[in-house]
Amino acid sequence: MVGIVLISHSAELAEGCRELAAQVAGDDVRIEAAGGGPDGRLGTSGDLVSAAMVRADTGDGVLLLGDLGSSILTARHLLDDWSSTSSARIADAPFVEGALAAAVTAAVGASLDDVVKAAEDAWGAHKL
Amino acid sequence: MRGVPTSSELCIQLPADVALHARPAGLFVRLAMGFQCAIKITCGDREADAKSLLAVLGLGADGGSTVRVRADGADAETAVRALENCLRTIR
Repeated sequence: MVGIVLISHSAELAEGCRELAAQVAGDDVRIEAAGGGPDGRLGTSGDLVSAAMVRADTGDGVLLLGDLGSSILTARHLLDDWSSTSSARIADAPFVEGALAAAVTAAVGASLDDVVKAAEDAWGAHKL
Repeated sequence: MRGVPTSSELCIQLPADVALHARPAGLFVRLAMGFQCAIKITCGDREADAKSLLAVLGLGADGGSTVRVRADGADAETAVRALENCLRTIR
């Protein structure tokens, strides 16, 4: 099953999004929150994200989803150093909607390509 | 030889206290994703792809409301029956 890492500048935002995604996707998908900087304040931490990627990796691939700017840069750097045999990719997707769509798709055993697509298709979901 | 049904449709009333949000929507969509057929769910004048979580959440189907599930494809009848059971027993 594809694992998911949610990277936010805020630990609370990452954790809240993880909680929502887990509620729709059930307990079988590994969804890991990696929010906040090394000091626990707003920011991003490569070490936190890297550890979350390892926890999310069950061998079927890891999807990274970032909230803004530097969380994406952090994710890109970590992809360069990713040495697991399973693939890791960043989705270009809205944070909350992308996380929920990806999580429910991962929960049915979809491939990493399909989970990335589910997240990125979230741009097309209108609220009104 | 019996023909294979290619489309199936049913109206289902949601339990009064269960809206098709959050966890129930996740259960419904995950079940729908397991079928090959195309599946639409409508509530009032809104229609959603039953395999799209965000679309189903966007239906705003409240507890007690009636939804219509329509499936098109080889496993349509099985899909509609399974989804009906899911919606009737969802908690």
